[in-house]
Amino acid sequence: MWIRQTVICASIIVLAVMLQLTLLSRLGLPGATPDLVVVCVVALALAYGPVTGAVVGFAAGLVLGFSPPAGGIIGIQALIFLVIGFLTGAVIDPRDRTVPVLMGMVGLSTGAAALAYALLLAAFGGNQVLWDSVPALVLTSSLYGLILAPAVVPGVAWLVQKVTPEIAV
Amino acid sequence: MLNQRTRIILAALAIIALTFTILDLRGGKGPFSSVRSVVSSALGGVQVATSVIISPITGVGSWWGTWGDQRARIAELESQNATLQDTVIRSAEDRARADALDQLLRVAGVGRYRIVPAEVIAVEPAQNFAWTVTIDAGRDDGLLADMTVINGQGLIGRILSTTKTTATVVLIVDASSAVGARVAGTEEIGILSGTGRQDSLEFQTLDPLAELKSGQALVTFGSRSGRPYAPGIPIGEVVDVSGTAGQLTRIATIRPFADVSALTIVGVVIRPPREDPRDSVLPTPPATISGSLALESPSPSGVNDGASPAPTASTKPQKEKAATPVPSPTPSAGVATNSGSN
Repeated sequence: MWIRQTVICASIIVLAVMLQLTLLSRLGLPGATPDLVVVCVVALALAYGPVTGAVVGFAAGLVLGFSPPAGGIIGIQALIFLVIGFLTGAVIDPRDRTVPVLMGMVGLSTGAAALAYALLLAAFGGNQVLWDSVPALVLTSSLYGLILAPAVVPGVAWLVQKVTPEIAV
Repeated sequence: MLNQRTRIILAALAIIALTFTILDLRGGKGPFSSVRSVVSSALGGVQVATSVIISPITGVGSWWGTWGDQRARIAELESQNATLQDTVIRSAEDRARADALDQLLRVAGVGRYRIVPAEVIAVEPAQNFAWTVTIDAGRDDGLLADMTVINGQGLIGRILSTTKTTATVVLIVDASSAVGARVAGTEEIGILSGTGRQDSLEFQTLDPLAELKSGQALVTFGSRSGRPYAPGIPIGEVVDVSGTAGQLTRIATIRPFADVSALTIVGVVIRPPREDPRDSVLPTPPATISGSLALESPSPSGVNDGASPAPTASTKPQKEKAATPVPSPTPSAGVATNSGSN
């Protein structure tokens, strides 16, 4: 059970990171890049609960930080995704999860991730943050999260139910 | 809600994340450089594979912008005869790629840069404020850190790090990028810095009296042994100049020739040319007239009006004339040194 859970989480995260860096960021969409990794972290947190969500978020942030072409500071994304994974796993009772609520939660998470990255980067001394473009990045990131959510969250939930039926929330 | 175990796990992870951040902040060869290179090698390989799998999707760079046009085009093609099917096979994508390669080869040929062509396979997400991309050529192809990366339009950036099969390129528009640049047709040099915005760079001339006009092109000044920047590569053109001549900081806004947001095929300069190609690589090399105009221009105030008609052209011979009489007391020696210096 532990092994299957780890394998499914790792596969989803690595796939999401690869798709995000090789496909989504190259589509040239206006504003931010669709944050598939955050959407997957939220989906796994919803499926496995807050603690696994936090661990998965932490790991996903590290993978994203180490993946080429990333040149940013390692650890910032791990910290952000850790908090997102924990909060989204803990904040909503599993019985209250309707599609609009899930979409809203994913949209908030992706927007918050973009904002938190800009804030933390600046807090750690990065002077490359373009503040006038931050609102547009946060808004578009939320929007892309909203769009991705109905496809990704049920898909991940179904996969989790199939692979580890005994521990899915 | 939070039991003991949950709290310990969360605290431990948060502390690890912060520790990593602080360790990595120190920069340089931090404790993560070896981890990063190992993970980069592994993930770089996966990226190459992923890129191959999804290449039909990413190949058409402007797919999202023109999907309406493409649908119309498909409908039109469907109505056509089967004899036109080879037209469909030779799709716009192939031609665009061929054009990109052609342009790259033109730049490499004119400037005599020896290049390794490569394809962009991964891009940093826009919300991370970093302009870096991964290309599918690495150490096995002879790439080293700090090599120049170009495409058919001009300078793209330099190589930040390499793995066996991939390399990470930091683009000139990245906020950390700085390139020594020269105004084409003149001897004005300066430093070109990235701003983090894809369509503007900041150029600061070393000579605060330098006259800059919008439309002037910039080429790379070149580094020692061509790394990180080989000489003579077109970079962009001046679109705006702030401040007036004589101010301590005069900053020109430069629009890069290359569209860094839609990169496909790039070339890595593995050997710079033996001689600086000067302005010859530019699509339209500046005429000599514009060069002489730029040389005359540093006297706009009218103070040196008497000397201005031919400032540099006349002063040089005068200096030489003034220099030659000095060794004249010993005629033979003077002639010898004179011919030697010529």
